[in-house]
Amino acid sequence: MRLSQMPLSLRVPVLAAGLMVLVGLVASQQVLSALGAVQDARLRELARLHIDGLSVALGPFVLRKDVWEVFDTLDRARAAMDGQRLLLTVVSDDAGRVLAASDPLRAPVDSAMSEFVAGAGSMDTVSALGSEPVVRVLAPLEYQGRTIGQVLTELDVSDLVAERRRALWILLAGNALAIGILSIGGYALMRRMLRPIALLAAQMARATGAPEAIPGHRVPRGDSELTRLVQTYNAMSGAIEAKAEAERRLAERERFVSLGRLSSSLAHEINNPLGGLLNATDTIQTYAHRPEVVRASAALIDRGLRHLRDVARATLDQNRLDRVGMPLALEDFDDLHILFEPEAHRRGLRLDWTINAPNMPAMDAAPVRQIALNLLLNAAAVGLSGGKVSFTADGSETSLRLTLEDTGPGLPETALRRLLTSEPMPPGGGVGLRLVHDLVAGMGGQIEHRRTVDTTVLTVTLGAVSSC
Amino acid sequence: MTVSRRRLLLMAPAMLGAPMIARAAVPFRFGLTPVFLDNDATVIDRLRAALDTERGIDLVQRRTYAEITGLLLEGDLDAAWLCGYPYLQHEDALSLLAVPVWQGAPLYRSYLITHNDDPATGLPDLIGGMHTFSDPNSNSGYLVTASDLARMGTRPETFFSRTIFAYGHRNVVRAVAQGLTRSGSVDGYVWEALAAVDPDLATRTRVIAKSELLGFPPFVARRDRADQPDVARFKDALLGLRTTVAGQDALALLQLDDVVQATPALFDGIRARMRDVAG
Repeated sequence: MRLSQMPLSLRVPVLAAGLMVLVGLVASQQVLSALGAVQDARLRELARLHIDGLSVALGPFVLRKDVWEVFDTLDRARAAMDGQRLLLTVVSDDAGRVLAASDPLRAPVDSAMSEFVAGAGSMDTVSALGSEPVVRVLAPLEYQGRTIGQVLTELDVSDLVAERRRALWILLAGNALAIGILSIGGYALMRRMLRPIALLAAQMARATGAPEAIPGHRVPRGDSELTRLVQTYNAMSGAIEAKAEAERRLAERERFVSLGRLSSSLAHEINNPLGGLLNATDTIQTYAHRPEVVRASAALIDRGLRHLRDVARATLDQNRLDRVGMPLALEDFDDLHILFEPEAHRRGLRLDWTINAPNMPAMDAAPVRQIALNLLLNAAAVGLSGGKVSFTADGSETSLRLTLEDTGPGLPETALRRLLTSEPMPPGGGVGLRLVHDLVAGMGGQIEHRRTVDTTVLTVTLGAVSSC
Repeated sequence: MTVSRRRLLLMAPAMLGAPMIARAAVPFRFGLTPVFLDNDATVIDRLRAALDTERGIDLVQRRTYAEITGLLLEGDLDAAWLCGYPYLQHEDALSLLAVPVWQGAPLYRSYLITHNDDPATGLPDLIGGMHTFSDPNSNSGYLVTASDLARMGTRPETFFSRTIFAYGHRNVVRAVAQGLTRSGSVDGYVWEALAAVDPDLATRTRVIAKSELLGFPPFVARRDRADQPDVARFKDALLGLRTTVAGQDALALLQLDDVVQATPALFDGIRARMRDVAG
């Protein structure tokens, strides 16, 4: 898992532990560096004392090239320091030939000094910082103000290397332990501190479609940023819930609003047949003895009452509370026709009504009726008298397409934004088109708007959008 | 200031006696060459205790045989423990006081030694190597090997690649044991004594050749003083070492049996080698 993919409650402790490791490494490096410097200073002091002492003791013997005395001096010095740091000392004359060594088997008399100086440093540069257990120091042998030979000294620094290695392991182990404890503690502490964030993320990530408020007992106590964050989240969650509730109520109310807008037309639709029906009853009363007149009047009354029955049923259906969840059927479009046709006549509009739906897709009837009715009412509202409104429903087993054309002047910009976008709208103005937008979006459908020379075409596609 | 004849006569006995008084105040001076385990403070102390005289004794050590021999010949020493070779070099001026007895006889050998892992089996195998002598005036530590080479028709300077003098038989053993030189000429008595008291050192060397028995390093005095009472008492003390506790301690520490009288003929073997070297 990459660091950026880790949850925040894990990433922060991991980063903190990483920083602790970094600090531990830097501190360890500083300690080792200081230890190395102390060791080097000790080593250089020892080398200087040894070589300076030898220079004093060996000067006359080297000058005389007295092999035995040089060896005797080196051998006694070796015996005096037996088991200590000096492993080998080789003394050469000014011609670079070995006069004697503390170990003649390694550095025979008369051999070339150059064979032993590989890797040797001066007294000022000798260092035990490498991993080699032995270091070599080469120094000129000064006597009476002139260089009469060279001294090579092999120093055993294995104890210094081991000491540094031991210090390294102690530091590593100590740091690892300290960092481990601090990291675990830091991790637990951070997890605890960031628990509200994790809770917040979990609440927001729930697949319920809307954020859920965090229960009060899980809100962190105090007045920390996290407390305020959770409280703000809860407030936001409540606001969203309230907004959704308001929208639900608005949609509910919109049904009545639609009927309210239709009420005048529906009153005419009921009132017009009533005059004819009353005339028919007068005719029956006047000509009760004429059976043919009575039959004709009765037939007239029958048609009138049937029409009234259809209008009443369509109105009732539009407002029935128990329609929620009922599947869409052809009758729903007949109801819409009955409801809208009087409004179209009242506004002097010619209505073309086409239903091409041998099969209806399986979807709720209520939102489809609301979408179609709102669009029809809007078309009627903006249509010019003498104009034309066409409604076409094309249905299949998987989708439904509603096409509405009108010859009105076209939708104003604000109306189009209500219908086609989710932008927040200023208060005022109708909610019918925004309700259409929200219902279509909720059903996963699409709305298209097209304006030709004198016609506005709105197409709503519901279900199987990609295949339409 | 004038001195009267009578006063001068009165002072004469005092002036004549002054050297005797001064001489009596000086301890008996006994020179030691590194013929034994030099640098051993215990040996020096035991010898001092065993040989102490009425005058007291001053044990004088020098680095080389030549220095001790020179001091003896110049009269700065009353007696000395010399090697047979310098004794014979100055036989006309030196008198033989006594000779130590080692392993039942006043004789010893010179050893030719190498490092114990050296394949050499004799002197001829050592050609071209480095060699350590003890002292240019040492019989066992120089003369024997030099005379052997002379009998082979060569000399140390040409036979060996390099020769060094370590001025002490123990030093010869150290030089060979630690690989400074391939071989060395050493007093057989010293090597055997070392093998007993310091086997770690001696066993790192191997004896590849031994000389014939030769006269053991003698105690000598200047011939013209040999008969002086203090020298005679010193000689008696040497010959009586075995009879005193301190003497027995000193002899035991030196791993010697006794000290006996001897004649110059004891050193004929060394004399012969001197002739060989002189050619």
